[in-house]
Amino acid sequence: MTANRTPDAVVANPKTKYGNAKASTRHFITQRVTGAINIVFIGFLAYLVIRLGGQDRPDMVATIGNGWIGLPLAVLLVIVAIHMRNGMRDTLEDYFHGATYRLLMGLNTVFCILIAVAGVAAILKLVFWG
Amino acid sequence: MVELMLPKADRPTQGKSWPKPAGAKRLREYHIYRYDPDQSANPRIDTYFVNLDDCGPMILDGLLWIKNNIDPTLTLRRSCREGICGSCSMNINGLNTLACTKGMDDSTGPIKIYPLPHMPVVKDLVPDLSTFYAQHRAIEPWLKTTSPTPAKEWTQTVPQRAKLDGLYECILCACCSTSCPSYWWNGDKYLGPAALLQAYRWLIDSRDETTNERLDDLEDPFKLYRCHTIMNCAKVCPKGLNPAKAIAEIKKMMVERKVA
Repeated sequence: MTANRTPDAVVANPKTKYGNAKASTRHFITQRVTGAINIVFIGFLAYLVIRLGGQDRPDMVATIGNGWIGLPLAVLLVIVAIHMRNGMRDTLEDYFHGATYRLLMGLNTVFCILIAVAGVAAILKLVFWG
Repeated sequence: MVELMLPKADRPTQGKSWPKPAGAKRLREYHIYRYDPDQSANPRIDTYFVNLDDCGPMILDGLLWIKNNIDPTLTLRRSCREGICGSCSMNINGLNTLACTKGMDDSTGPIKIYPLPHMPVVKDLVPDLSTFYAQHRAIEPWLKTTSPTPAKEWTQTVPQRAKLDGLYECILCACCSTSCPSYWWNGDKYLGPAALLQAYRWLIDSRDETTNERLDDLEDPFKLYRCHTIMNCAKVCPKGLNPAKAIAEIKKMMVERKVA
């Protein structure tokens, strides 16, 4: 386990940095804020799932197509995607380094953007075009 | 980097079972990790039997009894034998702790002893702690000031001093850091609970005048933010300290500084 370790002289230097120092606290704040928002929204989401249970498509379109429901849902989806990307970043930083990390982090970003864009587009379609 | 399996050459094998001491009536079985870097063999787990009628009550007493009476090649660190020096930290029955303050009667069955987890082993129960000490050096554990040095001393009020309680008592035994999975996977970049506890100790010291610089040095995705509040550190600390809380306080200071 010692083969690829950072030399002790580098570790002992207080100025040594191992990543994007300026972004680290911002990532932490984003993670906590989006997490807190998700907790608040979970009641709304639970209500929505229960409300839509057993309903057919026209009812579902009518519910999500309501701007008061659809737009908060779209916002929630974006927040969830940001939180998902941040959470996965933490996991990737734990277990992967170097080129593998950069590749996986790139895939993570693409995946989260796709989820957010596809979800928001679908909801906006229901809200504005039915 | 995460390593879920030990390399083949590092996997312990069944070692020697040493004979029971002649005439002993009360025995306690010890399974001890043995590794000699001068031999090419894999580490092994040796079995010893300690005569409880001729030995003190602590695990360290048993280890020293083995060293004195059965196998003088058994290698371990020890010094104060009363939980002050932190030398005899090791993994006992799956938990990092001090052998000198852990009683043999705290558990039943064979006592299983390994060196502190996920650290390079120098020999037997002696881990290489040089990176751990380098990390302690990295947080600059001394008073740093910019004002002129007072004629007598840097004074503190009683409440200011009280803030250091639960922090200054750390004996740097490394039980906390080596019980932390984040430290296992990124032990060369993540400072670990012990160093961060000390970092917080100096961050909230009312006499220190370099709080911002100290926070700047810690602001890094690895040095501080690898802590995922797993809490193993608080669970195993033989001094009853809570490094996880200290780390959370540092994160709070970081956030307050950012949003202020």
